[in-house]
Amino acid sequence: MIVLAGTDYVAGTDYATRAVPLLPSRVNRAVIAIVRVGVGLLWLQNAGWKTPPDFGRGDPPDGLYLSTTYAVSHQVFGPYAWLVDRLVLPNFAFFGWMVLLVEASLGAFLLIGLAPRFWAVVGMAQTVVIMLSILNAPHEWYWAYVLMLLAHIALFATAAGRYGGLDGLLRPSWQGSRSRFARLLVRVS
Amino acid sequence: MRTRDSLDRGALVLGVVSIVSAVFVFVHGTFQLVQIGAAGLVVALVLGLLAVVAGWLDERALMLGAGAGFLIAAAVQLVLLAGGRSGFLGGNASTFSLWLGLGVGLVAVGLAAVPEATEESLEATN
Repeated sequence: MIVLAGTDYVAGTDYATRAVPLLPSRVNRAVIAIVRVGVGLLWLQNAGWKTPPDFGRGDPPDGLYLSTTYAVSHQVFGPYAWLVDRLVLPNFAFFGWMVLLVEASLGAFLLIGLAPRFWAVVGMAQTVVIMLSILNAPHEWYWAYVLMLLAHIALFATAAGRYGGLDGLLRPSWQGSRSRFARLLVRVS
Repeated sequence: MRTRDSLDRGALVLGVVSIVSAVFVFVHGTFQLVQIGAAGLVVALVLGLLAVVAGWLDERALMLGAGAGFLIAAAVQLVLLAGGRSGFLGGNASTFSLWLGLGVGLVAVGLAAVPEATEESLEATN
């Protein structure tokens, strides 16, 4: 085992060529785990109001369908509003299911800390989509979505699953494996 | 030193998370993170307990069994939701999300190879 004194990089026995960053403070590691679990719970709880099969499409509209219509009625970005109007709303059952599955997966994987770097990128993309839909809607506070975006950037930057998450437990076996899937998991964890 | 103990602890923690989620039978409104009905309570307690025992006894087959159970429960909940109802499980998409995470996590831990411990894995579990 090689431990570089005075740095926050440590190289493990079998993988000495791949130095891995470690946070030196247990408190810092715990804080990152708390942020990851908190963001996971945000997605997990908010998956709950995506209600198939119509996702709020009705008279009057509500839920996810109503939120999505704000992209058109309270336009943020013209081309996105056009896309929602022409493609998303007419095929809403499909897009509703996609939103449900993506957000439920974000909740699931961020909660357990499995590949959160990948899921942080997905979370950033989903946050941008939400921003483009409802940023100009009534009673919305745009900083809430900026904070969501920043939280996902932080999860990505800190490889948050390595601290109190499954990535921290499973990365050694992935690093020791020659399979492509394991190598992919090393990259996204 | 091996990291099997850490993996066992991971399964145990996932089981505890499931058992703790049972509290949401009694929590409603703003702080109801996940919707748990009567049958969902049984799923959360039985499979959660199974995961705890699996972690405690280092029984990988039990971990995989509990993980598969959660994944099946998640899939059933999703099918019930597709029909427009919570169904007999009494959950919603949040319940699906939670059980998906617990199922994937337990299966991943149960299938994990046991490498030599690295500083990273030890630090992650401390």
